[in-house]
Amino acid sequence: MNAPFFKFGYFGDEVSLLIAVVIGVLFGFVLERAGFGNGRKLAAQFYFQDLAVFKVMFSAIITAMLGIFYLSWSGLLDISLVYKGTTYLYSQLLGGAFLGVGFILGGYCPGTSIVAMATGRLDAVMFGVGVFLGIFIFGEAYPLFADFMFTGNMGVVTLPELLNISYGLVMLIVIAVAVGGFFGAEYLEKRWAEKHGGSDERQSGETVVEETIEVTIATQTTY
Amino acid sequence: MNQTSGLWHVLYGSALNRFLAIAAVVLGLVSLAGTTQSNEKVTIDARELALIVENEVDHVTVQKLADDLIRGETNFRLLDLQTPEDFAAYHLPGAENVQLNDLAEYPIQRNERIVLYSGGGIHSAQAWFLLKARGYKAVYMVLGGLSSWKEEVLYPTLAADATPEQVAGFAEVEQVAKHFGGAARRGGAAAGSVDTALPTPPVIAPTAPVIQRPTKRAREGC
Amino acid sequence: MASDHSPNELYGASAALIRPDTAGAAPYWNPYVSGVLLGLVLLAAYVLMGRGLGASGAFSSVTALAVEKAAPAHAAGNEFYQGYLQNGIGGNPLKSWLVFEVIGVFLGGFLSAALAGRLTGNVAKGPRISVRTRLLFALAGGTMMGIGAKFARGCTSGQGLSGGAVLNVGSWAFMLMVFALAYALAYSFRRLWT
Repeated sequence: MNAPFFKFGYFGDEVSLLIAVVIGVLFGFVLERAGFGNGRKLAAQFYFQDLAVFKVMFSAIITAMLGIFYLSWSGLLDISLVYKGTTYLYSQLLGGAFLGVGFILGGYCPGTSIVAMATGRLDAVMFGVGVFLGIFIFGEAYPLFADFMFTGNMGVVTLPELLNISYGLVMLIVIAVAVGGFFGAEYLEKRWAEKHGGSDERQSGETVVEETIEVTIATQTTY
Repeated sequence: MNQTSGLWHVLYGSALNRFLAIAAVVLGLVSLAGTTQSNEKVTIDARELALIVENEVDHVTVQKLADDLIRGETNFRLLDLQTPEDFAAYHLPGAENVQLNDLAEYPIQRNERIVLYSGGGIHSAQAWFLLKARGYKAVYMVLGGLSSWKEEVLYPTLAADATPEQVAGFAEVEQVAKHFGGAARRGGAAAGSVDTALPTPPVIAPTAPVIQRPTKRAREGC
Repeated sequence: MASDHSPNELYGASAALIRPDTAGAAPYWNPYVSGVLLGLVLLAAYVLMGRGLGASGAFSSVTALAVEKAAPAHAAGNEFYQGYLQNGIGGNPLKSWLVFEVIGVFLGGFLSAALAGRLTGNVAKGPRISVRTRLLFALAGGTMMGIGAKFARGCTSGQGLSGGAVLNVGSWAFMLMVFALAYALAYSFRRLWT
């Protein structure tokens, strides 16, 4: 039971900030390599053209989820010391709704907008300005709905606890749904590509300089 | 892509996708046999604990604590183990009231500096042992508890036969006492050891703007 | 041994999907491989720090600090700003884990794009709208995200990824809501992207 290392005091606050930068660099690098520095590729998720957001996110969740479970099972990671946010159902659902709207309008989320900014995209800078603005609006209005923020308090609760089934079974369900979704995603991308043949992008987009020239037109996909 | 290697193929190939999917499903199936663990079991390194106790490195004097509080140090959590009634009657500024049997669930981290005090010192010693055994790294107790606090910080008395150094340093002691709402007394002819019955200390309202600490020290969410 | 294969065979199945958005740039990674690597980074954060990844928290710290600089008394009376102002190490709101992590994200994104030849700086948008329209919608979307991330106590990284991996109930509810709303509105806003 020696992990999480920070919580057992293996290093202090200063070192933790160094670790933050290193973790961040890796996070940003992988996000960029996955194509998440491109708002159009991200938004293509919602038009069934390119389901990379779904694939990357769920592969990541499954990987970390399994890793946490197996490290905990083997006794290396004390899962009770792993931070889990409290569930405030109503404010989180409302927040999710706002985020969904923001995603389709803006094409990024806060993390991917940082990556896109790093690659020099002006739209991401505008998006970032918007995030600051949104937080400012929220902060100014906070006293109005401070009480609402704490409604639907379910405490710190995980799916296995809520459903009263084993941790492993929940994981298996998540994996089954995700893998099923992956096959579905490959099928959808293939179908979209067949229907469009990858040609409509070329007519309109490529001559404009600021245009993102290509976004993932699936011409051939088999799983 | 002439230098295309097997690695390239593996990184971008569908064979890998299939492998990953199968691996995830297999790991998911195996996990049905396991459980997550958290260390509710307590292990004690008796010798290490004995050494700490013997060397008294786990003690904080009331003077040191008073200095830290005046300076507004926030790098520690101050836990008060009195009963809620006693806590309401008097507690140190910034202290959080915790009962011994709630300690296990109390949101403190193993890497936090935790300073414990109680009325006399017995409860804080018990809490110290409990936390130490559960792997909390930096746990300290206030030597003498609130009794010492009252005697040495709130209502200190300058002995009649004080040395010149003690007299010189007493002005500062008086300042400290005043800060916490007490009053130092210069032991003249009147103040003898007879008069040391503890006066009721003034209640320091918890709302006093001394140290405001969120219940959870660090936000770890997004 | 594979040198005489056609590109699609070499790249495997999703050859077209990993095509870069800039001519001559390196291809995007296979999304599943990216996901596994991202998951390992997240796992590293949990093992080292006992916490997950995040992004919007860093925006909040900066916002709170800016408000404090502009109007100290106003910020002092606001519980929300205070939460972030008191959060940093040694009383400095910018010395917080998420702020440093986000600085890292920027550096990592830059490094990856530079190595891949993707530091193009163009605006990512659909072909049917002007750059100006895109920028306005980006601003609007960012604003909604900012508000939403605070209601939800986290964004796609903090709630979605990190909370999802520890099977947090609120995080999964949040994530379903994000995708539900985005898909529900996708058709209405198709002009933006397709």
